[in-house]
Amino acid sequence: MYKPNLLLEVATKYSESELVRLLQKRGEQAFSYLYDNYSGALLSIIFNIVKDEELANDVLQEVFVKIWRQAESYDSSKGRLFTWMLNIARNASIDTIRSKSYQNSQKNRELSENVYSAAGVEQLQVDQIGLRKIVHQLKEEYRVLIDLSYFQGFTQDEISKMLDIPLGTVKTRLRTALIQLRGIIQP
Amino acid sequence: MNIQAYIESGIIESYVLGMADDQERAELEQLSRKHPEIRAAIEAFELSLEQTALQNAMPPAPSIKKDLFVQLESEFNPATEAKLVSMPTAQTGWLRYVAAASVILLVVSAATNVYFYKQFREASNQYQALLVEKTSLLAQNEALQTKGLDLYNGMLIMSDPAFTKISMPGIKTEENKLATVFWDKKKNEVYLLANRLPQTSKDTQYQLWAIVEGKPVDAGMIDTCSGLCKMKNISNASAFAITLEKRGGSPTPNLNQLQVIGNVNG
Repeated sequence: MYKPNLLLEVATKYSESELVRLLQKRGEQAFSYLYDNYSGALLSIIFNIVKDEELANDVLQEVFVKIWRQAESYDSSKGRLFTWMLNIARNASIDTIRSKSYQNSQKNRELSENVYSAAGVEQLQVDQIGLRKIVHQLKEEYRVLIDLSYFQGFTQDEISKMLDIPLGTVKTRLRTALIQLRGIIQP
Repeated sequence: MNIQAYIESGIIESYVLGMADDQERAELEQLSRKHPEIRAAIEAFELSLEQTALQNAMPPAPSIKKDLFVQLESEFNPATEAKLVSMPTAQTGWLRYVAAASVILLVVSAATNVYFYKQFREASNQYQALLVEKTSLLAQNEALQTKGLDLYNGMLIMSDPAFTKISMPGIKTEENKLATVFWDKKKNEVYLLANRLPQTSKDTQYQLWAIVEGKPVDAGMIDTCSGLCKMKNISNASAFAITLEKRGGSPTPNLNQLQVIGNVNG
């Protein structure tokens, strides 16, 4: 039986530079390709930050609108397209968790989560997903720093005050945490 | 500055993950322009981060893509679309049918081509045959026209009162032979009608002679001509005769081979 899929899969492999060129020319197909290939990876990081699957999906849509509308400003000399998208996703997610509506819903969520836990209902565990799953392998002192800094977007100065640790120590520990993190993802 | 120590300080990861502050970022960007190994380290971490993120992807709700594309519908450039060769895999269902239909159409088309080619060859051959036939008919027609014209001209001569008709019957033992000369005594024109002269062999030919003042004068070789054959001009002849000579003729007649002879009357 004739199978066109194989051919099409070959045809849909864009080089990154071609993909960027077509995106900047407002190509729907290129954008569709971008979504199909990267939405899952970005959703994972968004979920790691906002900790709610439905909200994460909403933020994902918002993030892709930003990617689309800001495609012109992407500069390949500063890094890969994915790195750029990942940073858009992280920033949008941090903005979301800092909003008032999120803060309020979070309180309700904690309550209902306790109810679910009590009832033994299986929840999608944030620590079992994506980058958090990897960070989870780090020692507690490093994990906390990466959580506050990467997933919650606090500055090192803020962290130093929150944890009552000297700024220099925060800096050193965070760097060490990152080096360990690289050791895990970059074998 | 120890570049290797700098690379291994964690600054690369901090930068790529968007955790570096403005000052650190500016410094790294400046250094990476000068040191390709810093650039390479950034790229290596970006790639492994991307790989990790792709491996740890979670599927979005299917409605998100639909909503997103509805939202951005007016912002797509259809001109860019036309340049793309790719198609989303979701649409390959109908494509399969289109492909199958194309294959069927191709087979049908190929079969039709063979059929029409055979028809064409046949028609072409028939046309060639007709063309040959037409040419030969035209040639025949032309020959008949020429022959008809010759016969008509011959009739004009035979009925012309200026011409004297000299009948030349066969001599003894050659009685079955007969030829006729039409001679215009004033203009000296001579025409011959071979009424009954059998075909000669390859190396012999009939020759017409005029008897002028008792001597034979060559009046020309007899070729196959339709109707009247124009011969050499002759004056003051008392008789005409035909001998069988070697092909091309002789200066003097071979009287042993005399075929027919006729006297001019008056």
